[in-house]
Amino acid sequence: MRKNIVILAGIPILVSALWAVAPKKSEGRAPTETVFSNEDPAAMRLEGEKRFRDNCGRCHAAPHKFPPRMIATIVRHMRVRATITDKDMRLVLYYMTQ
Amino acid sequence: MQYLSKSENRRDSCLALCVLVCVWCFLVTVPILEAQTADYERPVPILTGNAGYFTTSDNGTTALVPEVNPVLLLPLRDRWLIESRAEFYGQFDSSRGQPYGGEVYKQLDYLQADYIANPYLTVTAGRFLTPFGIYNERLYPIWIRDLQQVPLIFPLESSSSDGVMLRGGFPVSSWANLNYATYFSTLNTNTTLQSDRGFGTRTGIFFNRPRIEVGASWKKELMAQRHNLYGFHFAWQPPPIPLNLRAEYTRSEYGSGYWVEGAYRFSQVPVWNKVMRRTEFVGRMQQYFSGEEQMADQGEKYTLPHGDTQQPDFGLNYYLKDGLKASASYGRWLGRHNWNVWVFGIAWRFAVPLGSAGGQ
Repeated sequence: MRKNIVILAGIPILVSALWAVAPKKSEGRAPTETVFSNEDPAAMRLEGEKRFRDNCGRCHAAPHKFPPRMIATIVRHMRVRATITDKDMRLVLYYMTQ
Repeated sequence: MQYLSKSENRRDSCLALCVLVCVWCFLVTVPILEAQTADYERPVPILTGNAGYFTTSDNGTTALVPEVNPVLLLPLRDRWLIESRAEFYGQFDSSRGQPYGGEVYKQLDYLQADYIANPYLTVTAGRFLTPFGIYNERLYPIWIRDLQQVPLIFPLESSSSDGVMLRGGFPVSSWANLNYATYFSTLNTNTTLQSDRGFGTRTGIFFNRPRIEVGASWKKELMAQRHNLYGFHFAWQPPPIPLNLRAEYTRSEYGSGYWVEGAYRFSQVPVWNKVMRRTEFVGRMQQYFSGEEQMADQGEKYTLPHGDTQQPDFGLNYYLKDGLKASASYGRWLGRHNWNVWVFGIAWRFAVPLGSAGGQ
């Protein structure tokens, strides 16, 4: 009985591992970190600044800009911590890395 | 004999499951780490956090309080983040004219794995800050909080939980975003990972034009006592002026109370603008009303007042540079006895990449 449970538990674990290892079609940039390619960069910067003030300014003073890879980590952290929406996160990331 | 056989069988099953989980971790982690090093634009692990040094004078007792809160952020692949925060602080006082002495305390605030499942949902597992109100999760770090003294009602819910949490934020219209967090916590009696059994939820809505956020929290204890805690929070940053208004209300069997805080940055003052734009004035009013039940003392850093108390506070923050600020505040404790509370100090936020950070 227990062997059956192990087998039943093992199959989804191995399948999910294989799924995780398999290359994805969308591999490249993270789906949560892409920017909107069809919009005006200046407008996006303005909108990004607005979202930055709306979201980040709610809790703390505006920090200086960090290097891009650090910003990507910080924005992901703040997305979880401050429950920032996906779109706001992308715009803030765009603004902070320009 | 049959018992032994069952026991061995169980052990084998556990071992097999452990091996499967290890294989899964190995297969998943290796390509993740490879991907991390291959792509220049990917998030880099960061060691961040804050450090501070404060002198407090509370009811005539002067204390020196150094504090360090390192935060480790480890992004994995596109959707994962492992994050952890520890807290090290000392409390050295010199009551009754004695030499300064005290203890250094340490605690693990959170150690969690976050999986961004989709734009609406993030799944968190591990030890996390209990999402109740806004102070514990968002305003607690010393470089963020406007007044270094925590609100009187903060000990009502300042805990960490061990379990699973679902959270996220998404737009409900062009003018409002909804955020939510719901969790289940298990009982853990380990000193470092102490947590209570319970569950709860918090939800808030942010109106982006007036920059107003309102929200509510609820927690159900599943311990010997099955009390409920209710909370409401409010935040407003009126767009034309550099003012930050925040408030929280909490109600439970242990007590209830509120705090209202306003912080004004003098950046629009034309006189001495170089100095004024770095200066912030803070005022806070708060009241605590003791409840019918006594909260169990589990050695927490912060404790509730004994009896009904109110405390007005005023403070000044001066932002010396990015992430570095000096603070001074005065408060008047108005409870069974009245006394002054002074706090002076400095708080610094640091962030160091643990790898190549990319060009500026």
